Amino acid sequence: MRTQNATAYRFLTPYLLIFAIFWIWPIISSFIISFQATRTVPWRFAPTFNWGRLIGDPAFYNALKNTLLILVIQVPVMIALAIVMAVLLNSPLLKARGLYRFAFFAPVVVGEVAYSAVFRLMFSLDFGIVNKLLESVGLAKIDWFSNVTPAMALIMIAVTWRWAGYNAIIILAGLQSIPEDVYEAATLDRVSKLRQFFYITLPLLKPVIVFCAVLSIIGTMQLFTEPFLITERGGPGGGTETLGLLLYRQGFRSLNFGYASAVAYTMAGLAIAITLVQLWLMREPK
Amino acid sequence: MAAVTLTNVVKRFGIFEVVHGANIDIADGEFVVFVGPSGCGKSTLLRMIAGLEDISGGDIAIGGKVINDVEPADRGIAMVFQSYALYPHMTVEQNLSFGLRMNGNPKADTERRVKRAAEILRIDELMQRRPKQLSGGQRQRVAIGRAIVREPQVFLFDEPLSNLDAELRVQMRVEISRLHKELGVTMIYVTHDQTEAMTLADRIVVLKAGNVEQIGAPLDLYDDPANRFVAGFIGSPKMNFLSAKVVETTNSAAIIELAHHGGARLRKPLCETFPALGAEVVLGVRPEHFFEAGEGDCDIPVKADVAEHLGSVSYVYANAGPEELIVEREASRQRASGDHFTVSIKTERALLFDKAGARIR
Repeated sequence: MRTQNATAYRFLTPYLLIFAIFWIWPIISSFIISFQATRTVPWRFAPTFNWGRLIGDPAFYNALKNTLLILVIQVPVMIALAIVMAVLLNSPLLKARGLYRFAFFAPVVVGEVAYSAVFRLMFSLDFGIVNKLLESVGLAKIDWFSNVTPAMALIMIAVTWRWAGYNAIIILAGLQSIPEDVYEAATLDRVSKLRQFFYITLPLLKPVIVFCAVLSIIGTMQLFTEPFLITERGGPGGGTETLGLLLYRQGFRSLNFGYASAVAYTMAGLAIAITLVQLWLMREPK
Repeated sequence: MAAVTLTNVVKRFGIFEVVHGANIDIADGEFVVFVGPSGCGKSTLLRMIAGLEDISGGDIAIGGKVINDVEPADRGIAMVFQSYALYPHMTVEQNLSFGLRMNGNPKADTERRVKRAAEILRIDELMQRRPKQLSGGQRQRVAIGRAIVREPQVFLFDEPLSNLDAELRVQMRVEISRLHKELGVTMIYVTHDQTEAMTLADRIVVLKAGNVEQIGAPLDLYDDPANRFVAGFIGSPKMNFLSAKVVETTNSAAIIELAHHGGARLRKPLCETFPALGAEVVLGVRPEHFFEAGEGDCDIPVKADVAEHLGSVSYVYANAGPEELIVEREASRQRASGDHFTVSIKTERALLFDKAGARIR
């Protein structure tokens, strides 16, 4: 048995080495770096330098506020939309189901840069189709990129467009695992379709919804692409800067690795804390 | 309580007709079992009565009122599903009361009905458990309880015992029978298990490929089947069928010669439907209707192949020429593979079928 294990570990060694060098070590290293002043040469150990700055940094609180705002508004809206999409995809009345399934999932496989460029064009002040549509129904056009509120809305719309279909496909799998005869029993019990949805479908989908919500929370805490590419590095004036973007700015623009590491650990800690709270709130009763 | 009447009921799925004009009268308070092999349309018929499948043709009436276009919940029925169909996220109590609560039934009445169902089914102790914390038998009791709280005119059971092990199945069978006596309500029960059908039913409806083959009391079907299919389906072990030929006719009788048993002959009284001289027929003999050599009207030598000893009786699977026969013998516990012995058939205990399977009588 011991020989068998040794052989297995020898086969695993190349992977374990790569894992240790490129995953484990950076995790440990960044934790150590977060306690170092890295704007001096050489770096010196200063336990409160980065963490102290983080606590009093308005840029951090701005990024935290933006990230949490997106999380609180976008994630629930996207999950709700994904549930609706999944229910529609599951409808026996729907024709060309495969085509819709592909169409809903397609945004995930579209390149981030390409989709960001298209969104910038669509929401352009003078040439974008969105403003043309708003004007065609008598509404004033919106300067999506120069004002904070529309810019935040644009980020949320973009993220929702990209990930709602992905979540819908996961929820669809959950929907299809609910046995049909449970609904038949409810029909015989004179429970309306709407009540069946709220009293049977949603409770039975809870584990899948929690799974999607946890994935989305982790994703939103790391949100980077959309504010970087669509609203041009968290513009206007840092109005859409997220924690991910702050980390990038500190680490790779200002080369302040110590502070960037402290931000990274804060992001991870927050994601874990929010996820734990959510898992606790959605726990199965004993 | 209510009678249920099916008149020329047809079911089509697209171009495929799966039920071909079923006519069935079920009396108030009767326990009727639909039985037949897989795909015979028995569950489809039940689901049409429940309103879970549309009716393509004909009428279904409950309590004298045609319910073809009535919503399932308004038909006065309750259904117990094969897979129990319990709400997995609710406790037993919530499962029982869910339908009533959703329909705004007064709380006191809901509690009374749930308590009564729990008492009838002896599930009082399980009320706060969830379905996954219950055994198969307990889940089935809860499913039946959910039907009871609706206080329906008609209970529908769709193969409710097929997910249970053999011992539990016998126990639940007795409980369902007791429940019928206690509630006195009309029950329609679907199964492919003819033992369940025989033990539970006041009357059995035998179905084959969407057609009603015969309707009757269990022992009537056993003793007097309308055709070869019913004769073969009802009874376990199944009836033996022996190829034969009409070789001689007189004014009052015909002589039948068994095809593979050295010219063994039987004399059967003539009737209007008797086939002509030379016609091929099939003789049906139940395992318990083979007698000791010389006791009947025609002896057949057989060779024992396998013997199943069940204690009170034994079944010998024997070869008689190219035909395999199942013989019930009290004394056969001595029989071993390869033994040669002779069985005898009595004319009055042998049923005759024409080549198409219709009964000749």
